[in-house]
Amino acid sequence: MASLTLDRPAPPPAQRRDPRRTRRLLSAALLYTVLVVAAAAIMLPFFWMVVSSLKNNNQIFTVPVQWLPDPAVWQNYLDIWDKSEMSRWLRTTLLLSITVTLLQLFTGSFAAYGFAKMRFPGRDVLFLAYIGTIAVPWQAYMIPQFILMTRLGLSNTLWAMVALQAFGAFGVFLMKQFYESIPEELSEAARIDGLSEYAIWWRIVLPLSGPALATLALLTFVNTWNDYLGPLIYLRNPDIWTIQIGLRSLVSQYNAEYALIMTGSVLSVLPIAIIFLLGQRYFVQGIATSGLKG
Amino acid sequence: MATLDVTASAPAPVPATVTPKAPRRERAPGSRLRRRNTLIGWTFILPNFIGFATLTLVPVVILLYLGFTSWNAFGAATFTGTDNFERLVRDTTFHTALKNTIYFAVMHIPLTLGASLGLALLLNRKMRGMAFFRTVAFFPYITSIVAIAVVWNMLFSPEAGVINQMLMAIGIDDPPGWTTSTTWAMPAIVIVATWRDMGYYMLLFLAGLQAIPSELYEAARVDGASAVQRFRNVTLPSLRPTTFFVTVMLTIASFKIFDLILVMTNGGPGTSTLVLSQYIYRKGFVENDFGYASAIAVVLFVICLGVTVLQFLANKRRDA
Amino acid sequence: MKRSLITRSAVLAAATLALTGCSTGGSDTTAGASAVCEDSTEPVTLSLAAWGLSTSTDFQTLTDSFHLENPNITVELAEYDATDYDTQLTADLAAGSAPDLYPIKTITTFPTYQEGGQLLDVSEVTDVLGADYPGIEYYTTDGAAYAVPYRQDAWYLYYNKELFDLAGVSYPDGTWTWDEYDDVAVELTENLEAAGQQNVKGTYLHSWATALQSFATAQAGSDEAYFAADWDYMVPFYERAIALQDAGAQENYGVVTTNSLTYQGQFGTQKTAMMPMGSWYIAALLSQRESGDADVFEWGIAPAPQVDDTTLDHPVTQGNPTAIGINAAIDDAKACAAKDFLTYVSSEPAAVELAGIGLRPSYTADVVTDTVFSQEGMPTDPESRVAFSTLEAHPDAPLGSDTPALQNILKDAHSAILSGAVSPEDGIAQAMERARSEGLG
Repeated sequence: MASLTLDRPAPPPAQRRDPRRTRRLLSAALLYTVLVVAAAAIMLPFFWMVVSSLKNNNQIFTVPVQWLPDPAVWQNYLDIWDKSEMSRWLRTTLLLSITVTLLQLFTGSFAAYGFAKMRFPGRDVLFLAYIGTIAVPWQAYMIPQFILMTRLGLSNTLWAMVALQAFGAFGVFLMKQFYESIPEELSEAARIDGLSEYAIWWRIVLPLSGPALATLALLTFVNTWNDYLGPLIYLRNPDIWTIQIGLRSLVSQYNAEYALIMTGSVLSVLPIAIIFLLGQRYFVQGIATSGLKG
Repeated sequence: MATLDVTASAPAPVPATVTPKAPRRERAPGSRLRRRNTLIGWTFILPNFIGFATLTLVPVVILLYLGFTSWNAFGAATFTGTDNFERLVRDTTFHTALKNTIYFAVMHIPLTLGASLGLALLLNRKMRGMAFFRTVAFFPYITSIVAIAVVWNMLFSPEAGVINQMLMAIGIDDPPGWTTSTTWAMPAIVIVATWRDMGYYMLLFLAGLQAIPSELYEAARVDGASAVQRFRNVTLPSLRPTTFFVTVMLTIASFKIFDLILVMTNGGPGTSTLVLSQYIYRKGFVENDFGYASAIAVVLFVICLGVTVLQFLANKRRDA
Repeated sequence: MKRSLITRSAVLAAATLALTGCSTGGSDTTAGASAVCEDSTEPVTLSLAAWGLSTSTDFQTLTDSFHLENPNITVELAEYDATDYDTQLTADLAAGSAPDLYPIKTITTFPTYQEGGQLLDVSEVTDVLGADYPGIEYYTTDGAAYAVPYRQDAWYLYYNKELFDLAGVSYPDGTWTWDEYDDVAVELTENLEAAGQQNVKGTYLHSWATALQSFATAQAGSDEAYFAADWDYMVPFYERAIALQDAGAQENYGVVTTNSLTYQGQFGTQKTAMMPMGSWYIAALLSQRESGDADVFEWGIAPAPQVDDTTLDHPVTQGNPTAIGINAAIDDAKACAAKDFLTYVSSEPAAVELAGIGLRPSYTADVVTDTVFSQEGMPTDPESRVAFSTLEAHPDAPLGSDTPALQNILKDAHSAILSGAVSPEDGIAQAMERARSEGLG
């Protein structure tokens, strides 16, 4: 796969000859074929999800598998808004995901600067503590954490979800690794110029970390959106349910109504897919190179 | 999104004009400067650390203590010393779960690393439709886990499943029983886990690839480096921090695998896919043996941390 | 839409019944309650853990009608997740934020809550009900009761009369042993295939371990053997299941799990002629017929098959009693009102209301059976009625603090044996060994 990529640009210094061009066209065609086939295979479960949402409940799990609905039942896409609080779940989750993402971006990238660019005693131990907590399965310390949150008066509020998600070690680690790939000379030069550390972070390092920030934003958003165990434990009040916990309640309550559940799943994935497509261009642009030019 | 605006509005103004001055001023009053540095370092870390310490670090420390107690989640925990760990030594189910976890990690880590890096290289180009294909690659990660389990189980169905139909078509007469076989259930899980996770790690690799200055490639090309040489001498070294990050995260995630197994096989058939996280959950929430569950979590923690520290050391050595 | 209409009319019917029942049964229960503790007219608000509130109305029905009888007591429902109820409840109890009253959703978790000191002694309520009241024994420890049963599920053999007719096989008559059940399953499959029904099996065994093991323990085992991990008595049950699979008379376990088959789909769309299943499926089947998810066909229920003919008079089957307990941390001032509520849920008016929404209450009486069978779509034959109420139900497993751990081991054995990884004999032997290595048995 690697060699495929690298075949790509390298136009010979001399003018182009025809065979070369044919070869390039051929390899592009081959690449697209491979991509299309792989994409179809990767999307199969999603395809099944959509198809199931268009079936009767008892047509979903059958032997042999029925790959196309016959006839297509669109009713679920109308019913779900009546049978559930779908629109409220979506709104709550969107609000929560945005809040968490903003907080995580700020605290994560800020702390990462301390870990990557500052030297002070205890730094490495502290960082290891961060990594260490990632290594503990959440279900093992869920109860102590729940008791703590309840004492703080946070359980059964959306603040519990914010508190749970926004200070994760993941963002700190990701941003730290990225900052380390930014040449030290840049911040050194700025220091000599008299910039404070905060200014260096804000004016030099942050603008260089576009792709990393975009990645962190996207992953945090998706993880908050898709988190199900957290809301399950902390949110009892149906008024503040997130989409995953709402879907979960659909599964529990309409436990035989798989078509409805699949409809909900399709609807819950769509916003993420849209955000992903929109966020795409931030990965495509080579933002990071600009700082080194001139 | 807001931070992306930041990127746009502040187009890296400073460094280019600055010419590094000769030797930096001496850090003569060393201790004072160090104290200042420590202070500034802490102010950077503090906003995150306050939340992290109270909500994650404290419960984790409590958990480490609970591993040495008998606790049913209600009331106080009774300190029992190393009883739980002695029990672990004799518990054959724990041994099975430990073996299965390592088996999963050993297969899943290299496969996912290779697949996600390959995808990232393949999709890191300015061609029509790349945005679409990247989204597709990421789709498994956002598809509902219930749907994932249902569909993959169907695909793996020994007689009626698509996979075995294909295997038989190409002349394999006795295809594996996948999730219904004690031998093949774990490989089946590894396949699904790789399929699901590769888009996630691809994204991290893509961010890393974006950060490689294109000047480096141009320079290499001017020097007459071949594609393979450019990959080995430019791409891989520049990608090191990202690769390290991905490897550590992937390792920890593999040792902690839980949800996928829960919905696909629930540890079966028999105990052939029972893993540590699941055993922790069973002992804790199903059997209310939270002290013992915490002890298993401590073991898992020590394993993860050990592997991570090894990775850190290896990384440091290569840096040096 | 249709579903909500049904439930609404059911609630109405139940409310009417409750109102009319007030003068007789109602006064009885309040008399019982006032004997339990001093009546107070101060307004009290209790909270009760509940699940599935938007679709199932059992909790709402109970609390509403209770409030009609006891205007000064309001019971508010606290919603929990149906699947992860115990996880959520454990967290809440540990943090001291659990409701005043909570149902024991899975009976095997009862020892956990009781031994953890999370349940109040409610013997005052159960003493009035008497020791014969179904299910009380399972919630009694050292002579004291810690929860009051209100629902008693039971497993029956559901059968599709039209498929039996098509195959020319006579209906189960209440005298079946498992051997007869096996023979009929094979015969049905063959005859149905000959009649052009290729994809229909004689019977269906759902993937749950309890679907097989709880029958084995209830009919062929004992509490002592279960706790001692002497599980040899399960081997014949597994051998029978494997034989049915091999004969093609029952869907293969691997297919059931890999294709996530649902029992509602199998029986409801006539993929199987028979199916052992719990009493909760009655309500589900009726509502699926209504919604079009299930076919409309004649069906019936028969007693679960027995090991031999000695228990035919009073067939032994599995089925959990569901009970409600009082949080030990409840405010003293509220404890009395909470006990009043428990007295109510175990009474006849409450039972009639539960029956009206398709549940099988603990309280047994003809009026309860009448209410269940008066629903549209229910079988009309007298045999089904007899089968519904005449039985001896045992819970999923004998209750003790080791039960959850033993059940986990048995679950693993179940999947290993039915997927063909080990023979029934070896699978059970390995499970027994494993139990001993964990210090159980």
